[in-house]
Amino acid sequence: MNLEQIAESAPLSENVDSVVRFTNVDYSHPNGVPALRGISVEFKKGELVGILGANGAGKSTLVRHINGILKPTHGSVEVFGESTKNTSAAKLSRRVGIVFQNPNNQLFAQSVKSEIEFGLRNFGFDDELVRQRTDWALNTFSLIEYSNRAPMELSGGEKKRLCNALVLAWDPDIVILDEPTVGQDSEQKERLAQLVKLLLSEQKTIILVSHDMEFLWPLQPRMILMSGGKILADGTAQQVVRDRVSFSHANILAPQLVELFTELGDLGRFPADEFEARDKIRLQMTAAKEK
Amino acid sequence: MSQVLSVTPSSQAESLISIRALSYRYYASSRYVLNNVNLEIQKGEVVVIAGKSGSGKSTLLRAINGLIPHQHSGDYSGKVIVDGLEVLSAKMSELATKVGYIFQNPENQIFMFSVERDIAFGLENLSFKTPDIREKVDWALNTLGIRDLALRAPHELSDGQKQRVAIAGSIIMGQKILIFDEPTSLLDPYTASNVIRIIKNLHDDLGITILIVEHRLDLVSQIANRIIVLDEGKIVFDGEPRQVMYSSNLSVHGVTEPTIIRTTKLLDPGATGPGKSYPLTTHELAHELRKQVPRIGVFQKGSHEFGTNR
Amino acid sequence: MLASAIFVVSLVSHIEVLIVLITFTIALTFAAKIVKRFGKSMTFFAPLALIAFLLNYYVFPVGLLTATNLALRLFAVIASSSLFFLTTTPDELEQVMRWFHLPPDLVMIFVIAVRFVPVLFLDALQIMDAQKSRGLEFEKGNLMKRLRNTIPLLVPLIAVAVNRSLELAEAMDSRAYGATKRPTSLYVLKYNFSDYFTTIAGIVMSSFGIYFALFGRLW
Repeated sequence: MNLEQIAESAPLSENVDSVVRFTNVDYSHPNGVPALRGISVEFKKGELVGILGANGAGKSTLVRHINGILKPTHGSVEVFGESTKNTSAAKLSRRVGIVFQNPNNQLFAQSVKSEIEFGLRNFGFDDELVRQRTDWALNTFSLIEYSNRAPMELSGGEKKRLCNALVLAWDPDIVILDEPTVGQDSEQKERLAQLVKLLLSEQKTIILVSHDMEFLWPLQPRMILMSGGKILADGTAQQVVRDRVSFSHANILAPQLVELFTELGDLGRFPADEFEARDKIRLQMTAAKEK
Repeated sequence: MSQVLSVTPSSQAESLISIRALSYRYYASSRYVLNNVNLEIQKGEVVVIAGKSGSGKSTLLRAINGLIPHQHSGDYSGKVIVDGLEVLSAKMSELATKVGYIFQNPENQIFMFSVERDIAFGLENLSFKTPDIREKVDWALNTLGIRDLALRAPHELSDGQKQRVAIAGSIIMGQKILIFDEPTSLLDPYTASNVIRIIKNLHDDLGITILIVEHRLDLVSQIANRIIVLDEGKIVFDGEPRQVMYSSNLSVHGVTEPTIIRTTKLLDPGATGPGKSYPLTTHELAHELRKQVPRIGVFQKGSHEFGTNR
Repeated sequence: MLASAIFVVSLVSHIEVLIVLITFTIALTFAAKIVKRFGKSMTFFAPLALIAFLLNYYVFPVGLLTATNLALRLFAVIASSSLFFLTTTPDELEQVMRWFHLPPDLVMIFVIAVRFVPVLFLDALQIMDAQKSRGLEFEKGNLMKRLRNTIPLLVPLIAVAVNRSLELAEAMDSRAYGATKRPTSLYVLKYNFSDYFTTIAGIVMSSFGIYFALFGRLW
């Protein structure tokens, strides 16, 4: 057994607490159309999860159960050990922050600063803390120069940054990003990847809902594949990309590096990024030449 | 601008689209979104336009179909000629018959209550006779393979279907040029690759000239014959996809380089040298590696049970 | 049909005539095979007529006959409007508007308004989700607070609607909108048997209505 295989077979953060638990969750829209069927899944503290699937697979419906916007039709969702049934979304959101896909669906304040303060005040932060957290958010997301500008006037990328800032300002324990890379250029994506790494280092649970495989793959998250309201596969990135059947069912394309190494016939640990890929190919080239 | 690689002789007189010294600034904005752009596009080309957000991509496209300057007032100088029409003096509806425009959000470009009525919209506006409209609508429905959706209402369609309907409604006037403004960014990858395939077919079967703004270069670079990179309203690269992607670091200009390109560049920093091949797909790179070292990867085979031929 | 019903109702106060009118309307719903949906719509709206009756009879001293009469009038209008909206798709309504040579811009305003009501409704739900996720509680507080709570909902909704309309305008312009004052149509409105029948019935009933209003009796 080499090092890579040991790393792979290690249990997925077993000794960490479970923060979210879905038990046999079904959900149907008010018009009766089922959106989730028999979902049982658990998320842990400090975990990075990527939820993938085609449009309409149920990804957004699933994450909306975590902060209680949606309540299960059958089954139960527990967040930090408590059922979401009797708690309002407004209360749960204090610890579960969702950044929605479309910034235009929430920006309303007269300035960037008051946009950030809005959530903090809703959650009952005192004035001093509101000031501190707002300053932190403005600085962390390089929005300080815009603090008095109207959010509507910002560019698409800046709006998206503001939406990240206004949620992370109240320091939720679980951070859910819904399609964070849509319409983002390479610089913005790079910044986002760094944000994810920062949040991970703070032991937050991060859930990325996305079909941008090339963005997710280098982060090597736990991957959950969804289709038709069901979970098709759930495991480490390395495990899930090997499940070709579920992949084609979920209408997801494999990462390019997985495609490359599959074609080369090398089915060991797939490299996470181009640097790992280069090293692996070089190693193999020397090995093959020596034979 | 020594970086600009020109594949098409710019002096050619009979360009389908000819943009000369185009500068544009939106009303009440201090910044020029387009800054002295010169561009010639020939009939039958498939041109990808890339660049970070705010680089002027969408503005350039709108300047070709006339939304700029006809719908957005602003500071406009230079000349744009599309299939013999000068955009500035032509009527918007006249330009619509030359250039079809497909937008990012499929929802906001279907206005009528049924698919076939929506597809007919352009011809109805041009006062075509009912039987002629019928015939063309049927043609468009068949071309896009959406015959069975003809009588559906827009809210009954999936995003991918909506995008097909939008395309059908945009080719109905027999346009020679189709513009796609980030047509796949709201779609999942599988649906996106289907839309890209449709675009390729429109080019191959109908000879339509295609201009497309797209972030996912891995998807479009294979169907394109030319990539143009914009930054700060200027063209910084213009050339054949392999050349453009391997001659520079596109991420400096906000364009996400496909993983396969980044990997190849790392493996062979001199990938731009003469006589080198430039892989665009995983398949091409794998082929290239095997050419160099035939036995690569072979020793790994059999050690795992996950065999596949993809 | 709707027009003639409203016309008749506004003129006539004879219970017999109203009953004939209502019976005819109900008969038409059978002919149009929409009884079930008609019933649903009526159970929703008909209580209005009942309330009108009770209100008139008990609150105002108008007498049983007048109260019944007023209630039946209301019922007749509700029934014929339901019939109209259940048998006429927005698409047909749009064609009728064109057939009457209403200005194309006006027709398009109607079309887009109807087409985008459900879309904006979904937008509103999304916005509510987003603001709830920022700790906003719509149902909490006194009236002033609740009114203030609608701002985070309304401002983005207006922004989104404006955004959509700008994109729509671009899409319409890109498809030759406004090329002519007289756009043609994929469909041509054709009168068929049932259209002739209802039109004639409508005219006959309107004539009776006028006759009644003028002379107060049939013979």
